[in-house]
Amino acid sequence: MNPALARRPAAIGGLALAAAAALWWMGSSRLALDDGSDASHKAAGALVALWLVRGMALALLSLRAGVLRGWRAGAAQALGLIAPSWPLVVLAWSASTAALTQVALAEGLLLAAGITLPLVGHGLRRLLRPADLAEALATTLGVGLAAALWYLRGPWSLPTG
Amino acid sequence: MRSSDTAWHRLLLLLLLGFALCGIAQAAAPPRIELTATPAWQGWSRPGRSTEIDIRLSTDTTVRATLEVLAGRQTVRSDIELQPGRVSRLHIPVGSVGTGAVTVTLTVAPEAGSPAGPPERRELVIAQSESPLLGVGRATGGPVGFEGFHTVALGAPDLPRNASAYSSIDVLILDAPTLGALDQRQLAALLAHAAACGRIVLLNADAGVRQALEGAGGCGGHTLMTATSLGEARQMLGSSLAASLPTAIAAAGLAELSRPAQATWNRLAVALAVYFAAALLALLFFVAWPVPLLVPVLAAAAVLALLHTVPPPSQLRVWSEGESGAQVARYQAWQQFSGQLRESLRVPIPPQLAAAAQPCDPAQPMRLNFDAARGQVASAEFETRLFRQVRLCYSGSFPMARALTSEVRADGLREVRNAGPAAWPAGLLLAQGKVHALPAVAGGAHTVIGAVVGLPPGGALARTAMARVRPDPDGVAALWPLELAGVADVSIESKGWLLVSAVPR
Repeated sequence: MNPALARRPAAIGGLALAAAAALWWMGSSRLALDDGSDASHKAAGALVALWLVRGMALALLSLRAGVLRGWRAGAAQALGLIAPSWPLVVLAWSASTAALTQVALAEGLLLAAGITLPLVGHGLRRLLRPADLAEALATTLGVGLAAALWYLRGPWSLPTG
Repeated sequence: MRSSDTAWHRLLLLLLLGFALCGIAQAAAPPRIELTATPAWQGWSRPGRSTEIDIRLSTDTTVRATLEVLAGRQTVRSDIELQPGRVSRLHIPVGSVGTGAVTVTLTVAPEAGSPAGPPERRELVIAQSESPLLGVGRATGGPVGFEGFHTVALGAPDLPRNASAYSSIDVLILDAPTLGALDQRQLAALLAHAAACGRIVLLNADAGVRQALEGAGGCGGHTLMTATSLGEARQMLGSSLAASLPTAIAAAGLAELSRPAQATWNRLAVALAVYFAAALLALLFFVAWPVPLLVPVLAAAAVLALLHTVPPPSQLRVWSEGESGAQVARYQAWQQFSGQLRESLRVPIPPQLAAAAQPCDPAQPMRLNFDAARGQVASAEFETRLFRQVRLCYSGSFPMARALTSEVRADGLREVRNAGPAAWPAGLLLAQGKVHALPAVAGGAHTVIGAVVGLPPGGALARTAMARVRPDPDGVAALWPLELAGVADVSIESKGWLLVSAVPR
């Protein structure tokens, strides 16, 4: 693998996630256009999927990244995961009926989580010795957070139509 | 001397104060406006049908005002200037009124020195009849009934000025005095309704009227009838109702004649592909972390700029039909606007199609801007978003001069004659389930079809046309493309067709 790519697994993951979401959303929008149905449902679905998957990925990766590499590197990694989806978020918002404030709030929360979670991980590393314990705890917390996000995904849903 | 001067000064001051207060009181008084709103057809309509509101406005001072008529999810808006001593009349067409409630609001624009005052508001109720409506305009005589119909007694003022409002009424009986009391716009709307195959019986119409209306009726003139007595009118109506009329082509049928709006989708697919390639290259070649972060930000801005700069695509499809030798052809048109952004889109309505313009989906919220000077809708405004397709439906009639006859000869070939004076362009001939190429034919000349075997209807156009032709052996029709250069803007991708049924010989 290219060394530059190997250094940025989160950014590659973020780009791959955005590409997959774009493929699904553009494909389903094309089908909706062809049969004359409302494409806003698919756009809302794409937005919710992007928020949920990035949120869960942040929970799983950023705490550990904070423990292992410090909060600055962890935050940079989190931004690399979040940012590649922004053009798609802008387009999906344009095609949906979601309010701009709701979309901005969700992206803001993701950014805040991308900065806060590595900071928490970094704090765990300082509080707990040995480092393996901090890493194990960060991993457990991350999995718990991701699971909580999945089970509480209802509030992420958007009005359609 | 001094005391007298002081008294004069006081008196002068009081007078000036009095004048100033009078002036303030005069300036502060809001204009007095009288607003009367009367629905056509005595306030009757049918669910999902259009009607008209007759609005009269008068004022005691010159004011600019905005009139809004809210019916269902559509608002018709008109900016008007009212002059003192003059009654302004507007005949506002309204689409499907939903529950039947119509709200008319007049808001005076505030001007320097005079307050606007509160908006004038009138609430109207349009009665929705479940039974077909029979409109009877008789100056004399008792009430008229017809089995299965709800009768509405009409005077000349109850008849609308917009042809689209005639869709409220299923059958109309008008006597000569009522017909004579109609103004020019009412007559034009009545003729347009007759051309669109509206069932009308003219009672005791004089020879001049009969002559003027000859050939004005659509569907071969079968729906425009003249009777000398009420009994004869009933009989004619009975016969007319027993015969089925060609139904209007559905909006879905017209939609089939257009291609899906994919231009925006194609542009975005390319833009996203370019973005993902650029983002991957940035990850590969730039070590500094802000660069891969900057790429998505710039890409999001570029995508928004792309959508802002490219005009939203629009398609117009016009389907028209007529009978050989008829003076008018009736049309249905469908215009689709593809959204690109979250915005309020304002689109002009082609003046030639503005007689009956409304959203194809009654649930679509829309504002129609009514030009009071021209008496028709000038533009439409609606909220749109990326990939949203909003459609406007139009209907009406236009003059036509095509006449053709068709005959199968002894040798099995079909002779098609141009019975009119003007030449035809090349088109298609539809006969007995087959589609044939129809060459251009000069006026009075003929052509022979069938030397090559006709093809079964293949594309959407041939299928749509064939579905409109009578399936019996006499069901022959010619289909020509319509020239729409004068109707639609060049930025609109427009296509139209004219289907003319042949007369068998």
